Amino acid sequence: MTETITMSDAKAIIENQIEELAKRNREPEWMTRIRYKALEAFEKAPHNDPVISEEQLLHFIAKPEVEGIPEKIESLDDLPPEMKALLDRLGISEVEQKYIAGLAVQTDTGVVYNQFLQEWSKKGLTVLPTEEAVRKYPEVVKQHFLRLFRVDESKLAAYHTAVWNGGIFVHIKEGLKVPFPLHLFFLIQESALAQAPHIIIIAEPNSEFHLIEGCTSPVLLRHSLHLDMTEAYFGEGSQGQLTVLQNWPEYVHTRPMTRAKIGKNARFINTTVTLGAGKSNIGDPHYWVDENGYVELNGILLGQKDYYIDLGGQMFLQGRGASGINASKSVIMDESKVITRGIITAEAPKTKGHISCDALLMSDKAVMETYPGLVSKVDDAELSHEAAIGKIREEELFYLMSRGLDEEKATQLIVKGFLEPMLKDIPMEFLVEIRRIIELAVSGGM
Amino acid sequence: MLKVENLHVSVGDKEILKGVDLEVKPGEFHVIMGPNGSGKSTLSLTIAGHPKYRVTGGRILFGGEEIHELGPDERARKGILLAFQVPPEVEGVKIIEFLQQVLVELKGIDPAKAYDVIVEKAKELWFKEEDLHRYVNVGFSGGERKRLELLQALLIEPKLLILDEPDSGVDVDSLSIISRKIEELHKNGTAILLITHYGRILEHLDRDVLTVHVMKDGRIVKTGSGELVDRIDREGFAKIFEEVGA
Repeated sequence: MTETITMSDAKAIIENQIEELAKRNREPEWMTRIRYKALEAFEKAPHNDPVISEEQLLHFIAKPEVEGIPEKIESLDDLPPEMKALLDRLGISEVEQKYIAGLAVQTDTGVVYNQFLQEWSKKGLTVLPTEEAVRKYPEVVKQHFLRLFRVDESKLAAYHTAVWNGGIFVHIKEGLKVPFPLHLFFLIQESALAQAPHIIIIAEPNSEFHLIEGCTSPVLLRHSLHLDMTEAYFGEGSQGQLTVLQNWPEYVHTRPMTRAKIGKNARFINTTVTLGAGKSNIGDPHYWVDENGYVELNGILLGQKDYYIDLGGQMFLQGRGASGINASKSVIMDESKVITRGIITAEAPKTKGHISCDALLMSDKAVMETYPGLVSKVDDAELSHEAAIGKIREEELFYLMSRGLDEEKATQLIVKGFLEPMLKDIPMEFLVEIRRIIELAVSGGM
Repeated sequence: MLKVENLHVSVGDKEILKGVDLEVKPGEFHVIMGPNGSGKSTLSLTIAGHPKYRVTGGRILFGGEEIHELGPDERARKGILLAFQVPPEVEGVKIIEFLQQVLVELKGIDPAKAYDVIVEKAKELWFKEEDLHRYVNVGFSGGERKRLELLQALLIEPKLLILDEPDSGVDVDSLSIISRKIEELHKNGTAILLITHYGRILEHLDRDVLTVHVMKDGRIVKTGSGELVDRIDREGFAKIFEEVGA
């Protein structure tokens, strides 16, 4: 960093971006007002990121360090070959042929590939770029935009809100059960803007869905900081799964911000598979759970190189009989560091919470820390936690090797096996890719 | 085929094997008996290449080649297979996927063919196809674990199969099927080195083919034919040790 960016420099840059976004998105005034409100809050909002200092943040705002691709993407054929290859490896075209999945590849200009979604929109499934939803369904968006966050709670929340762009709006009508997973890929090509997609999920009562987000944008763009925000609302009796596959390159810092309100008898399974964590990956999702509601946060974390991964997770069990599980499995290699710090707060009778943290340390310099938090405000809550941090057991490795597998293959098998129980809800075509990435990481790290 | 010469083995600072000599020729059936702590399991784990067991003297030859510097995987590729006394649980690894990989690696069979072969052989050891989708040894009873070890031996068809107490912790029915399968492997040309404490399994095996060794304090103190089993049964180890001055 050679030049110093002052707070007023950063604010001026943010203001420019707001103006640009407002114009580009033909944004209604109420949304632009929210952006300005966030800009106002930015300066005074607290900043306590353990990796990115305030000075660095200002620098990121001024210099997004981008390398974009120039072409407009209107169909899959316009994608760069490496991106197409990735989608092919993920079995996307195959999936499409088999009629089992809905797929939207999103760029900042719109959802470009959405054959199945059109069909399903008639039944009550809306999937739109968030910008378009703001124009098309202003009343619905207003009721759900930034209702689970406050702009002044942190500089990152304020910055995201001021310059958010991209992201997806998913709305599932009452009783609609979407039988296939929705695969969403973010390909953000506008280069001058920060990567700050805003995702809104509204599951009406008794609806069901599974949304899979694959974060592949870094293949197209070099950004130093990625700030996505997800707000999810689960109506009574609804059931949803959100699976996030993160595979960031090493120069990016990511700060996923996810929050969800889980209604009576609703169920939310939130799985985050962090294979490429990027330079640092810090998230602290919040969940508010109503009567007999259920939330599960599954973290699959692969620490490599000198990456820093910090996964929190706060569950507020607010209704009688609500329950939550925060479970993570980490494979930590090289000199990386993984911290898990889930907190479950029991605020109502008969609530149950469990935190578990398993970690496999693959090198002497790898570091794992876990800080489970259990808070009970009632006298009949059942809260528990367990943690197991260790290395690969010599007996297991010897057993597999004594069957003719070399050390690398035996280690890969043990690592995949360690993560396997947590990958149970992930569709096969992704599993194949995930396992391959793990194999590569393990053999590279040996 | 297997030749162990004046083998000394330590774990940490403690010497456990103090000069073991043993030769197993192709197709032979050897039994090692002896009380707890005599070094039987150490011998089997050392031959298989467990990293914890350090060879401090002597040699292990397999097919005329010194193997005690080789990793366990390389020994397996040369045709040595150890059926464990207590096979470990391998969480998250499905039996079928593990065995497929083993057959692909060791025998170059393609995965689809391997699948069929495994399912077919598994039936002979009372494993149903759905059992093979369980994780390796996780939650298995003693009998199930030992049967899974035998299944691996049947699939791999090693030149030398070392069985470390295949009769411990096993129900009667499992013991009988395990014995039959050991005999089947032996008939098909696999040399066997069987380690047993109580000799329970020997009641199920044809004694005429056996060479029996008795171990004490890290040495083989007596070698004889199948009749030796009956003597140990009748008189116990003490009498034999007394006789050989051990």
